Amino acid sequence: MKRMETLTGILGSSLGLSLTVLAGCAEISDLFSKPPAEAPAPRIYVANESSNSVSVIDANKFEVIGTVDAKNHSTHDLALTRDGKRLFATNLASGRVSVIDTQSLETIASIPTGTRAHVVTLTNDNRQAWVANIGEDNISIVDTGNYRILGTIPAGKGPTGLAFSHDGRFAYVSNQGDKTVNVIDTASHQIIKTIPVGANPHFLVLSPDGRIWGTNTGGNDIYVIDPATNEKVASFEVGAQPQQIAFAFKGIQGPNAYVTVGSLNKVIAVNADPKNLRIVDQIEVGKSPNGIWANPEGTRLYVANQGSNELQVLDTGTSQVIATVPVGRKPIRVVVSR
Amino acid sequence: MKRFIFALAVGSAISLAGPVARVTAQTVQVGTAQNAIGTLVVVRPDGVQERLQGKGSLKLFENDVLMTEPSSQALIEFKEGIQVALNENTSFKILSRWEKDKPVTRIIRLKHGEVWAKTGEGPKALEVETPVATASVRETEFNLKVQEDGQSVLTVIQGIVEFGTPFGTCPIRPSTISYGVRGKKCTKPAPTDVAPATSWASAVRQ
Repeated sequence: MKRMETLTGILGSSLGLSLTVLAGCAEISDLFSKPPAEAPAPRIYVANESSNSVSVIDANKFEVIGTVDAKNHSTHDLALTRDGKRLFATNLASGRVSVIDTQSLETIASIPTGTRAHVVTLTNDNRQAWVANIGEDNISIVDTGNYRILGTIPAGKGPTGLAFSHDGRFAYVSNQGDKTVNVIDTASHQIIKTIPVGANPHFLVLSPDGRIWGTNTGGNDIYVIDPATNEKVASFEVGAQPQQIAFAFKGIQGPNAYVTVGSLNKVIAVNADPKNLRIVDQIEVGKSPNGIWANPEGTRLYVANQGSNELQVLDTGTSQVIATVPVGRKPIRVVVSR
Repeated sequence: MKRFIFALAVGSAISLAGPVARVTAQTVQVGTAQNAIGTLVVVRPDGVQERLQGKGSLKLFENDVLMTEPSSQALIEFKEGIQVALNENTSFKILSRWEKDKPVTRIIRLKHGEVWAKTGEGPKALEVETPVATASVRETEFNLKVQEDGQSVLTVIQGIVEFGTPFGTCPIRPSTISYGVRGKKCTKPAPTDVAPATSWASAVRQ
């Protein structure tokens, strides 16, 4: 019995000590490794050209959480600020840019830029939005703080694509009428070079390694420009009506350039090494895929099918469509918050 | 049941027509052209032209393009009370920016030529855009000229004008002049005689 009491005493002391130590650990834990605050779910924004709206989708649940009226006509392209708070949307038919508050999900400003406002891209510091106006052959520069137009830069005929270099020294503008890409020095706002690229060049995007990739939507190829030389260094045929490009991985393989090819109803994956361009995957999607965006990890692709009015989510590891979300009419462009 | 089907059809038609609450409409009058020495040509968005010669009250709408020919001048007034005079060989487009919970900002997109503007008292926002700079004003009187190369010359007569280019914004004070050039911030304001900037518009303002 005495041994039993002793054992109980020892166990009790040990338990008390253990609890004290655990409590101490909890306090230390509080000080040094608080669990991170729950990050807001990433969002997918889809421009619906024929609905004049932007669909807002929860990127975890793949559910529509809102639809924003752009208060203009033919909502076409989107650019999201780095902090995710403001979304700039061009409206082709109105020649205007809508500014959308992503917290309240409403349009808070409408800025006249130019006839057939087509694409919008934010400068690397997000202080300006550059807008390509097809109908005026120029670029409008919008102050993203007060929404004033600060000036315009003449471009080639029918500017349709716009991207900045990694260091922000150059802006690249594709011109469907001239079949060229203008290289603009952002320090002087002068065109310093014009690069012939192909039939009806359209979309431009910056790749992870700093090269500029573009699609010749009037033809069947994509091309690559090296900002170090401002030369076209590669091109590759993927099928008629290549639309937009996003970069992602297939398991350990990549990054690959995933291209929406409108005529094939497919996303074509091309190895992103300009010296060794080759098709590495093909994924069947809905009708006339156009917009495409990758998640930051490069494991998911979000594809806007303008012919079937839906957004599809692709898993690049398995090349499978894992979700289909109905959106507005003629979805053209997709962007995703970080 | 028939009533239900009719209501459903009407509802579907409305939803297919898309949202109707657009922020600009070409049927909303924004001001009037009040006087022209020579001829003022107004080109509507559909290409239809109207002309004003002498005094009158020609209605102006969003997206109208106004043009004066050699030896012509004109005076217009926005419904907010902002007066704008066009010198000869001037062309601009009338636009506006809508922002939630703020008064509409009238915008003059000056392609070429010279304008004088007076905004009067109160919160009447006006911006005059040129290819290389924008003058943003409230309660001011100023003159802005665009040269063939796009260089913009701002003379401030009263009040303070925010003169911005993509490379920075400068406050320009009365009796000073500043230049906006592509690829640069506006020049440091320099003292100037404002009489030439006001005298050309005096005849058409009478």
